[in-house]
Amino acid sequence: MNRGVNRMSRPARGLMALIIVALAVAAAFPLVWMVLSSFKTPEESMQIPPVWLPGSADPSAYGAVSDVIQAGRSLFNSAVIASVTTAGILVTSIMAGFAFAKYRFAGRDALFAVLIATMFLPPIVTLIPLYRMVSEMGLSGSLVGVILPNLANAFGIFLMRQFIAGVPDDLIDAARVDGASELRVVFAVVAPTIVPAIAALALFAFVYHWNTYLWPLTVLQGSERDYPIVLSLGRLLGYNRGAMNTPLVMAGATIAVLPPLALFIFLQRFFVDSMVSAAVKG
Amino acid sequence: MMRRTRSLAPAVMIGPAAGFIGLFILVPTALTIWLSFHDWSAQTPFGTAEWVGLRNYQDIFGELSVGRDFKMALRNTAVYTMLSVVIIVPLSVVLGLIVHQRDVAGGQILRTVLFASYMVPMIAVALVWSKLYSPTEGPLNQMLGWVGIGPQTWLSAPQTALYSLVLLNVWQQIGYFTVLAVAGLTQIPATLHEAARIDGAGPVQGFFGVTLPLMRRTLLFSAVIAIINAVQVFEPVALITQGGPAGSTSVLTWHIRRVGIERSQGGLGSAMAVTLMLALIVTVTAVFALNRRGARE
Repeated sequence: MNRGVNRMSRPARGLMALIIVALAVAAAFPLVWMVLSSFKTPEESMQIPPVWLPGSADPSAYGAVSDVIQAGRSLFNSAVIASVTTAGILVTSIMAGFAFAKYRFAGRDALFAVLIATMFLPPIVTLIPLYRMVSEMGLSGSLVGVILPNLANAFGIFLMRQFIAGVPDDLIDAARVDGASELRVVFAVVAPTIVPAIAALALFAFVYHWNTYLWPLTVLQGSERDYPIVLSLGRLLGYNRGAMNTPLVMAGATIAVLPPLALFIFLQRFFVDSMVSAAVKG
Repeated sequence: MMRRTRSLAPAVMIGPAAGFIGLFILVPTALTIWLSFHDWSAQTPFGTAEWVGLRNYQDIFGELSVGRDFKMALRNTAVYTMLSVVIIVPLSVVLGLIVHQRDVAGGQILRTVLFASYMVPMIAVALVWSKLYSPTEGPLNQMLGWVGIGPQTWLSAPQTALYSLVLLNVWQQIGYFTVLAVAGLTQIPATLHEAARIDGAGPVQGFFGVTLPLMRRTLLFSAVIAIINAVQVFEPVALITQGGPAGSTSVLTWHIRRVGIERSQGGLGSAMAVTLMLALIVTVTAVFALNRRGARE
């Protein structure tokens, strides 16, 4: 692959290396500061000018997090919300993506356009009636209320259709001739051929629903037992408000950030590939 | 028998997805529009809504405090969105070129570091930046001091708070848009760069003559996504600034939720939400039109 056609001179390469390092440091700085601050003592976090490195790695803020919020419970709630939602999205997206890629039926393109249009709708547009609908279903203040409205989304359908369109029809027809039902064709024949794309969607959905804040805040207001970690972080900030609670807040933020960040770092190839193919094929 | 099963198959396959999206996105969207013409408390069933025609719209654009607050949130959101887009899109191209080049190693690592912040919950980003911005014990003002720049007010003054939120947004989102830019760059055939070079074009001419025009579709996509993402800003406002100081960070997602759900003024909130939706449609259409006009030239 031919990238830069004009080769760089030596000084230009040195300058470029310097720019890359500077950018990486600037980009990483807030998260590094977060972790460093979580190990400071409250006194260190109050000092002016600021202390950059904690005198000793004081882990007491991490213990304090569990005194203020039920950190274990919150992490568990986040895991339940993110994984059940992801499972739902995978099933609905693979099925619908298959239908849009491989069936011909009246109104297909119009229906697809309507569903995809919802991808561009900010959640606030539907929030008020949705809040009322979920409470009339008796689901406000429950994890089911958080999860249920998110079990399908346009991005997943779009991504699955893009990838399933590339699966050879012969493979599908051969399975049908063998007597496989359509559901069996989808999940036992087609899905195994697009595992990387499914993994990408799974990771993306998991991280998105681990991080999402507006909807759980609206459904769960007051029901603190069911708070995911992102909501519980808000309570940390309110606790002992002021600069003294900085290590506490930073420890909580570090705990909340770790799962999605670890997933991304270990599996980033999937993320980046899916983002790229969604943008390029779109 | 077989044919019948086949003909039902699309409905069976699409049913679950279409059902969820229909019930939880399309129906509420229609309800938002319907409610915007009604007086309705969000604490009561939809049946209690009373028809008021265009009164909610007159109120939110009127001269009383309801109207003033809404117009301020609308203006703040417009400024925040426009600044975010005009910073993010060009910056993503510059960073994309740096990640994409192969003369100096480290591009991939830079991409990872940039993208990592996109994976982090916005609520954590907001918490961390609220401490970074702290005028006295925060590190940003100290670093500015090193290069001889005086301390900034960041989130604590109306003149700077909204811009500080834009900076936070750019930091969180830029990695995603850089990855999109790299994808666009990868699609440009190397032969075009070579042809430009043989014609005597330097790197700058090559960039403006070949690279940029061929990235038009990518940049259009980036701009639209950046707009949609920017109007969703909520966490830093809800948790850190509460719309202040002096209303300078009151933005629509936060303001609509406050009016429609916290104050239960469902009709007013819905009228605001519909206005936001219309404003988005107009903006995105304008971006597409600009892009088409640019393509003809």
